[in-house]
Amino acid sequence: MPLFKKVLYSTDFSPLAEVALEYVKKLKEAGEEEVVVVHVVDDLSVELPEGTDLIKEKEVYKILPEVDQEYLLDLVERLNSIKELLEKENLKVKTYLKYGNIPKQIVSVADEEKVNLIVMGAHGKGLLTELLLGSVSTDVIREAKCPVLIVKRREE
Amino acid sequence: MLFEKVLYPFDGKKASLEVKPYVLKLKEAGCKEVHLLYVLVPSEWGILAKEEYDCIEKIEALKAAIEEGFVDALLRMFKKMEEVASEFEKEGVKTKVVMIPGELDEVISEYAKKNDVKLVALGITSESLSFFRVGKVLDIIKALDRPILIVKSPEEEG
Ligand SMILES: Nc1ncnc2c1ncn2[C@@H]1O[C@H](COP(=O)(O)OP(=O)(O)OP(=O)(O)O)[C@@H](O)[C@H]1O
Ligand SMILES: [Mg+2]
Repeated sequence: MPLFKKVLYSTDFSPLAEVALEYVKKLKEAGEEEVVVVHVVDDLSVELPEGTDLIKEKEVYKILPEVDQEYLLDLVERLNSIKELLEKENLKVKTYLKYGNIPKQIVSVADEEKVNLIVMGAHGKGLLTELLLGSVSTDVIREAKCPVLIVKRREE
Repeated sequence: MLFEKVLYPFDGKKASLEVKPYVLKLKEAGCKEVHLLYVLVPSEWGILAKEEYDCIEKIEALKAAIEEGFVDALLRMFKKMEEVASEFEKEGVKTKVVMIPGELDEVISEYAKKNDVKLVALGITSESLSFFRVGKVLDIIKALDRPILIVKSPEEEG
């Protein structure tokens, strides 16, 4: 059984998502070989088709205002630095920057890439820091077909 | 160590068995100890004295308080858990088998805290008869203050 062979790491670049990255690295010892890093944007000033791939479909940038373009390029850079970090650990890495409904896109990349596990934080950048379980995590737990590792930080 | 001590809530049903290979595999990533926990929920078992039932003697002592048929069912569950535990022991992973009365979310989160568990591994079915349904699992996740591995089993219970 592949179990932890191919892992999807979903990040909103929040501190807790960074903690989740430690788990992604650690799973290498349990047979992990490939990591798919995913970030989803739903807040551009122009509506794009659901599921637009903002790394591959470069032509859509032309219809976006400059602020959006800069915002997206910054996100691509952030994804690339995570990619480099994981490649240093000798993992194979793919990145996705998707447009659309956040949990829906995470689950759809998980399906397409046939990952064995999704790793994510229990909450993220949401304003309610005391939130026990964010809406994105809740929906991914409901909809994902594969196992999900929800990372929480212990209150010290 | 991120996976050193794992809490494995277990109810003997298919969904909870699906987690087993994952927990076994975590041995390679540093898992040294696994605690199998069966929660004796009041809706199924009535109100039992709050205690950690972690050996045959303690369960047999319940015969003074509840029907013998119930105690026998508990003993069967305990033995089943010990069988699963022996699979971990064979791999050199330390185990503990325990049954605790109470509600799922409370018992699991309290136990995890008290025993400084690093990860909780839950097996669920989305809408099946198993006791770890998604709705209930969300309560457990909210009650916990540490990482949770959720393994969904695709099929309904037979
Ligand atoms: N835009 C996103 N792209 C990829 N992953 C995300 C995104 N947003 C959240 N996640 C993942 O989901 C986890 C939980 O975040 P979530 O958004 O559910 O919580 P929150 O921001 O605290 O609450 P909410 O968004 O409901 O206000 C994050 O740690 C991250 O792993
Ligand atoms: Mg959020």
